[in-house]
Amino acid sequence: MAPSRSGGDACKGGAVEFPAGLRVLVVDDDATTLRIIEQMSIRCRYRVTTCTEATVALNLLRERKGCFDVVLSDVHMPDMDGYKLLEHVGLEMDLPVIMMSGDSTTSAVMKGIRHGACDYLIKPVREEELRNIWQHVVRKIWNENKEHDNSGSMEDSDWNKRGNDDTEYTSVADAAELVKAPKKRSSLKEEDIELESDDPATSKKPRVVWSVELHQQFVSAVNQLGLDKAVPKRILELMNVPGLTRENVASHLQKFRLYLKRLSGVAQQHNGMLNAVPGIIESKLGATGRFDIQALAAAGHVPPETLAALHAELLGRPAANIMSTVDQATLLQASIQGQKISHAEHAVAYGQPLVKCLSNIGKNFPPSIITANDVSSAYGAWMSSNITVRPNNSVERVGTQNNNMLMDMLEHRQRQQPQQQPLIHDQSCSINVQPSCLVVPSQSSDTLHAVNSCASINQDCSFGRNAIIDYSLLSQKSNNSITASQFPGGDTKAQGVLYGYTIPSTCSMSSINGSIQQLQNSTLTFGSARALPSPLPMSDRQDPYGFKSGDSFDQVCLRNLGFVGKDTCIPNRFAQKEIESSVSDFSQMKVNVDSSGNTLQEEPNFINMQKGSRPIIERYQSCDHSSVFTE
Amino acid sequence: MDGLVQLQKQLVDYTASLFREGFLDDQFNQLQQLQDESNPEFVVEVVTLFFEDAERLLNELSKTLDSSFPNRGQASIDFKKLDAHVHQLKGSSSSIGAQRVHSVCISFRNSCEEQNVEGCLKNLQQVRHEYSLVKTKLETLFRMEKQILEAAG
Repeated sequence: MAPSRSGGDACKGGAVEFPAGLRVLVVDDDATTLRIIEQMSIRCRYRVTTCTEATVALNLLRERKGCFDVVLSDVHMPDMDGYKLLEHVGLEMDLPVIMMSGDSTTSAVMKGIRHGACDYLIKPVREEELRNIWQHVVRKIWNENKEHDNSGSMEDSDWNKRGNDDTEYTSVADAAELVKAPKKRSSLKEEDIELESDDPATSKKPRVVWSVELHQQFVSAVNQLGLDKAVPKRILELMNVPGLTRENVASHLQKFRLYLKRLSGVAQQHNGMLNAVPGIIESKLGATGRFDIQALAAAGHVPPETLAALHAELLGRPAANIMSTVDQATLLQASIQGQKISHAEHAVAYGQPLVKCLSNIGKNFPPSIITANDVSSAYGAWMSSNITVRPNNSVERVGTQNNNMLMDMLEHRQRQQPQQQPLIHDQSCSINVQPSCLVVPSQSSDTLHAVNSCASINQDCSFGRNAIIDYSLLSQKSNNSITASQFPGGDTKAQGVLYGYTIPSTCSMSSINGSIQQLQNSTLTFGSARALPSPLPMSDRQDPYGFKSGDSFDQVCLRNLGFVGKDTCIPNRFAQKEIESSVSDFSQMKVNVDSSGNTLQEEPNFINMQKGSRPIIERYQSCDHSSVFTE
Repeated sequence: MDGLVQLQKQLVDYTASLFREGFLDDQFNQLQQLQDESNPEFVVEVVTLFFEDAERLLNELSKTLDSSFPNRGQASIDFKKLDAHVHQLKGSSSSIGAQRVHSVCISFRNSCEEQNVEGCLKNLQQVRHEYSLVKTKLETLFRMEKQILEAAG
């Protein structure tokens, strides 16, 4: 039934006294209940819109962003599960959602809470209860503002500027948050991400820097407690970081949850459970696999955007080591374990730069959208290989080591062989450059989500919604579907949507001509859903690739690194640059493994990866960029 | 107007008896409270919606259960589907305050969960019965209200 009714059409809140004028969207397949609630809402002087179908409701919400304050949804609906709608709304629109059901069992209510419902009403709903729902709207807004204030992140105006995309907002905020904190180097290793302080989004207020290490601690604490039970106080205790306040942890946790939710919800294509199978992920992940974006790119089926995004993600990784260090692994596992979100972890949005690069490289590659199946299978294979975490290994062993150039490459790396060229050139896989595709490696075996609403990578490095291709790490399930949506701007700027959580290394990208295997288990760790907003000023590191915005992108990525595991490889950057310069450059790319053991010579083309000089870049080293850039 | 007062008294008594006998519960009061000048027919409107819904659902339930008749086997009945329908009926009956229908639906759901065919059949019969009862009673109620309105001029 088409949404209709009272409240007029004005999306703007009228000048009525709150809570009157609250814009409510009610979704329920039961016409009787719907009519009653509608009438009650009218009585409360809300502006109510009703829907009998969840899909219609979702479309409505998407079309009329900013036109609703709160969503009331039934749990049991024929076309879409209420929880699914809840997740979508939470991820895409970030509106408070209240569930309604005749089921008053504790487990049902708990499920609602877990999925992020603001409230759970037992039917039949009474008018008094309806009168109270405004509290959730207010609470949400206040909490968000408070968080921003705490972190000195984006101001509301910035937020508003970003439009109604709440995803962006959160990401931006997150990014901003990370950006602005002063670097804490004392307790951090060199590989930790250095946050740039010249980020425009930086606020003046000092703030906790969620460095990679810190985030790792956070994630392991959360993991230990279990995501459901993770409360800031306990996390704080477990982390045992001096100077860290409960508030810091609380806001970080909130973002983390949101990020995970987002990833899982948005990415979800099928009804797979959003809850990842931690066990599987864990096993698959093995070592902190670093997602070899390049490998992916090389495979040719990774849309540039995705790769870029991945790249961005990786950029965030402080680890120069390809090999996921223990840290990374821990981080990855930690994040994966507690969370039951498989996709979320993988959602990686690749920034543009990579995409662009890929496009260049892959001139002869037929652009194609990676199909979920492809990806999933690729990943699957990849994943199933054992991924071992080796501390300080330069190259993480990618699981599947078979018929994969990348794999070879990794192997090489592991052996500290600087020879990347063959690999690079060997990459016969075509790189599919899909300007608007974001690849989101997804970990859950049963869900291959195309994160459609991922922040889009646009020239401004802001996140919009783009299809994010989820690489299902685990499964080759046919329902893996990668949806790559066109996303505007093929700018090479490094704009990525960084999802801050590690992507389980098992990403299957079958479409990538066999080279995906190379994707080491890079777990892409994503900072909690940070959108990279407009290019953040990069540190003044030289950008060998000549990235302009790319730099910022990196920075941003790094910043977001709070959530990135160490030693993440960020091939993107290199790839991009390489691509831009020339394909041949790639051949010269050498992965500079920053691990303790392996140090490869860096090609001039590459960003100079010297330890310490550019932590960010170093991180890239470990990635098998080369694999990405096959001609 | 004795006639009018009479009618009104009848209505009050009748309504009270419905509550007393458990046909209706407080939710029905909520409905009545929602009715106002801007929505003078609200209760009738909603109850009519309920009737439509319920009849549709009862049909579905019969179909689902009857289809198994030849086999009478548990395996042939789609209990999930049954449960879904009953759940819906349960929801809509509770939203208008049709308490007895609602109660039977709860038992019905239990039967579905247990995959108890006999139980389901029995519950279906019960729910049909309760539904027709409450329908009759509500229609009577509405008729009385209408008479009052007409008598009041």
